[in-house]
Amino acid sequence: MSGNNKARKVIEINGLNKWFGQFHVLKDINLTVREREIYVVCGPSGSGKSTLIRCINQLEHHQEGDILVDGVEVEKGGKNQTLIRRKTGMVFQQFNLFPHLTVLENCTLTPTLGLQTPKKDAEELAMKHLNRVGIADQALKYPLQLSGGQQQRVAIARSLCTQPKIMLFDEPTSALDPEMIKEVLDVMIELAEDGMTMICVTHEMGFARQVADKVVFMDQGEIVESNTPAEFFADPRFDRTQQFLAHIL
Amino acid sequence: MTLVFEPKANRPAPTNTVGFVGWLRQNLFKDIPNTLMTILGLYLTITVVGWVLNWALFNAVWDASSRRECLDLVGRSGACWPGVVEWLPNMIYGLYPKDQVWRINLGFLALIVWLVPLWMGGVKSKVAIGLSVVAFYPFLASYFFLGGDKGPIWTALVALGLWGLVWVWSTALCERRTGLSIGTWLAQRFADADNDIAQKRVRQAAALLLFVVCVGLVSQWSLSEVRTQFWGGLFLTLVISGIGITFSLPAGILLALGRRSDMPAIAMLSTLFIELFRSVPLITILFMFNTMLPLFMPAGTEVNQLLRAIVAVCLFAAAYMAEIVRGGLQAIPKGQYEAASALGLGFWQTTTQVVMPQALKIMIPTIVGNFIGLFKDTTLVSIIGLFDLMNMARAVGEDSDWLGLFIEPFFVVSLIYFVFCFAMSSYSIGLERKLSAGRDR
Repeated sequence: MSGNNKARKVIEINGLNKWFGQFHVLKDINLTVREREIYVVCGPSGSGKSTLIRCINQLEHHQEGDILVDGVEVEKGGKNQTLIRRKTGMVFQQFNLFPHLTVLENCTLTPTLGLQTPKKDAEELAMKHLNRVGIADQALKYPLQLSGGQQQRVAIARSLCTQPKIMLFDEPTSALDPEMIKEVLDVMIELAEDGMTMICVTHEMGFARQVADKVVFMDQGEIVESNTPAEFFADPRFDRTQQFLAHIL
Repeated sequence: MTLVFEPKANRPAPTNTVGFVGWLRQNLFKDIPNTLMTILGLYLTITVVGWVLNWALFNAVWDASSRRECLDLVGRSGACWPGVVEWLPNMIYGLYPKDQVWRINLGFLALIVWLVPLWMGGVKSKVAIGLSVVAFYPFLASYFFLGGDKGPIWTALVALGLWGLVWVWSTALCERRTGLSIGTWLAQRFADADNDIAQKRVRQAAALLLFVVCVGLVSQWSLSEVRTQFWGGLFLTLVISGIGITFSLPAGILLALGRRSDMPAIAMLSTLFIELFRSVPLITILFMFNTMLPLFMPAGTEVNQLLRAIVAVCLFAAAYMAEIVRGGLQAIPKGQYEAASALGLGFWQTTTQVVMPQALKIMIPTIVGNFIGLFKDTTLVSIIGLFDLMNMARAVGEDSDWLGLFIEPFFVVSLIYFVFCFAMSSYSIGLERKLSAGRDR
C-alpha cells in the first residue's frame, strides 16, 4: 500500500480550478492517486473537499485544468461523463439508496440496465458484494427497513457492483449514529486491505492513521498540505493544519 | 463494582384507552361538548337519511305514465321514478340505435376482459399488458362503437386490437402455468435453446400467424355505421373521460420532463403549452375548438365535433397533469439524481427506473384526484351540444310527458357519478397501500 511510484496512475489532476458563479471553490489543485493507494481528504467545511471528488466523477463540471481518470481525460462540460462515472464509484453522506427498490435491486439496477449484464449474473455479483459488506441476509428488504449503518454498507456494495477502478467516499460516516460508524469504517478498511484505490473525504482520523497512504488537508479551495499519516499527525508543517488538528483531535 | 443495566419489561397500555370502548371514549364521549356534538351529529344524520329514504323509496311512485299522474298521487313528497326508468336507456347509451346497443356493452366488456390479467396472481408482464390496453384497445373499441366500412388499413388496425387481446390472455395464462411469456414459451418449444436467431424467428412467425388469423376474423365482421351524433349519455361521458385520462398521464409526464429540460427550446415550448392551457377555462377551450378551429382549417375538411371535444379535453388535462407530475418530480431529493448519475445511468434510465416510479407514487392521490375532476369536468361538453350523461338527464325534464322532472334524473346522475368517482378513489387508496407496503418505515 505504500508509495509505489511504478504503480499506474488512477487519478491525475493538474491545475484544477472551479468556480460556483463568482465564488472560487477550487484553486490550482494538483493530485495524483496511484493504483491501490488510499487518500484521506480532510479540512473545514466549505474548503472544497466534496467539490474536489465530485469533479472527479463529473457531478460537478470544472472550468480549468485537466483530470484524468484511469488514463482517460475528463472532457469539460461532461461530454464523456458516463464513461468516467463507470470507472468511479461514489458513496454519499446521505446513502442515497433508491427507496422503491429492494437492496438487491439497488445493486443490480446499473449492471442490468447500464452495462447489459444478464440478470442472473448481476444478481450473483450483487450477492457477492452484499456478502462482502456483511448484509447478504437483508437482500430482499427495502432500504428504509435497515439502519443507517446497514444502508451505508448497501450503498458501498451498490457502487462495487459497477466494478469501479476507484471508490470516492464523501463523508460516508457523518450522518451515522456513533454506534454505527464502526461497522461502516470496518467495511472501508477491509476494502482498502483488498487493494481498492480510494479517496475518502472524512474526519475519521483513526481511519486515516490506520489505512491511509496520504492525508490531504484542504482549506479555502486549496490543498494546504499532503503527507503520510505518520508525518501529518506528528509534525504538521502549516499553522492552519495545526489549528485544524487541534480542533478535531 | 460494575452495575448491570436491565431494561424494564413492557407493560400493556391502560384498558380504557385501547379497543372499541377506548376508541368511543376517546373520540365520541370525551367530555360534555364532545358528547353533545356526537348526539347532534347522530340526530342530523338520522333526519337526513330518513328524509332521503322517504322521498326516494317509501313515498316514491314506480308506476305512472306521466309526471301529472305522479303529482296527483303523492305530490312532491315522493320521487317520480317512471320517467327516469323510461329514459334510463338514453341516459346510458344516448341515442345509439337500440338494436346496436350490444356493441357498446361488448366494447366495455372487452376492456374489462383485457384488464382482468392485471389482477391475476402469477402474471409477470403487467406493465406490457397495461401498455397494450393503451396501444391496442382503442382500435378494437372504436370499431365496435363506430362501425361502418373499413378499408384495408382500418381492418389491419382493428385486427391489431384483436391481436392485442388474444396476446394478453395467452401470455397471462401461459405465465400462470409456466412462468414464461407466450413468446418465450413458444420460442423454447419450437427452437433450439441456444439459437437466438431461430428463437426470434419463431416469435415473429407466431405473432404474424396470429395477426393473419385476426385479419381474417375482422374482415368477416360487418357492423353498420353509427355516427357520433347519436352517441350520448354515460357512454359518451366514459368515452371522453376515458380517452382524456389515458392520454393525460403520458402526455403530462412528457410535458413535465420537457419543462424541466436543460434544452431551452423544449423547456420554453412545454412551459408555454402548460401555462396557455392552464390559464384558460375548459369551457373556453371547448368553445374555441368547436367554433374557431374550423375557421383555420382548409375549406372542406370537416373534423368530427366529438373529436374536437376530445382533443380539447385531452390537451387541457395534459397541462394540468404536467404540473402535478412536476410537483412529484420536485419532491425527489437531489441525492437520488446524483446517486443515479454517479452509477453511470443516463437520463432516460434515471427517469424511468429511479425518479418517475417514486414521483408518481407520491402523487397518486393528486393524480387520481385529477382523474376524478376530469371525469366530472366532461359534463361541460354539454355546452357545445354533446349529449353526455348530464345533458341527457336534463332532457328528461323537457320531454312533454315528464315536463319539469329534474330532481329525479339528477339524483340518479349523482349516484352514477358517485359510484364511478368513489371506485376510482378507493382504487387509488388501495394502490397506495400496496405500493407502500414494506417500503416505508
